[in-house]
Amino acid sequence: MAVLVWDAIGERFYETGVDHGVLYIPDVAGVYDNGVAWNGLTAVSESPTGAEPTAQYADNIKYLNLISAEEFGFTIEAFTYPPEFEQFDGLATPIVGVSVGQQSRGTFGLSYRTRVGNDLENEDHGYKLHLVYGCVASPSEKAYNTISDTPEAITFSWEVSTTPMAVPGLKPSSQLVIDSRTADPTNLAALETLLYGDELVDPALPTPAEIITLFTP
Amino acid sequence: MGQRLDLHAILVGITPNVYFQAPASINMQYPCLRYNWDDEETEFANDRPYNRRRRYSVTVIDTNPDSLIPDQVAALPLCVFDRFYTADNLNHYVYKLFF
Repeated sequence: MAVLVWDAIGERFYETGVDHGVLYIPDVAGVYDNGVAWNGLTAVSESPTGAEPTAQYADNIKYLNLISAEEFGFTIEAFTYPPEFEQFDGLATPIVGVSVGQQSRGTFGLSYRTRVGNDLENEDHGYKLHLVYGCVASPSEKAYNTISDTPEAITFSWEVSTTPMAVPGLKPSSQLVIDSRTADPTNLAALETLLYGDELVDPALPTPAEIITLFTP
Repeated sequence: MGQRLDLHAILVGITPNVYFQAPASINMQYPCLRYNWDDEETEFANDRPYNRRRRYSVTVIDTNPDSLIPDQVAALPLCVFDRFYTADNLNHYVYKLFF
């Protein structure tokens, strides 16, 4: 019989940090085949909504709960953004150097990495790759303040909603998470080459179906 | 983060006698500006330091109690008055300055 053990050495896990942000721009066919690095990324706050129960009554008792669909949204915070993001923030550039606001907002993809730490290796224990599809950013406040005696960079913030993509054998989803602690290292390296590019391959965001195929033995 | 020598050049433009982290043994000429590295502010992004700004403590030392040099130092961007004191019959105006 197994005996439960709490907080064993090497199993005191925690998650922290965010880095390796990449913005993926879709082509006319909706393929995220162009990735650019997102500098100055300070936070990605995931805020899924939905999955709310609605109680149904019959025979004078609570008969069952109907669960609404779940939606994935998140907030990006950063000191800056890649110029390619302007088109997804309602800015059009009719001429180089001139941006026009209140334009249509396109759909983009995003990936970012978070760390998984434990009591032995700290933040080097592992990491998770978060891949998000069908993102649309909402207009957000940009508060420009005077420079004072304390230098402070503006932290931009964008609320993002998503549209799920097809996932083979599962419900459509906007979010995939790959855990370096459990994923096959060779396939993970191949995925990272796809996501971040190398001398031969441009950065791109594979579809959920392609990623599942990649990790299928 | 700006270069320290760029700040030095700006301070020399206010008064020619400028001393960086001057040891106590140095024989300073007055009026003068004495400044030293005081603090550093760091903002983080991508799990690393993203932007660093160094803060200096800049002291105007002048025998003249109505010296105009403190006003010129106070007009520099990212500068704020810290305190005033007298020592050895010299007026000391201390400012905090990010550069």
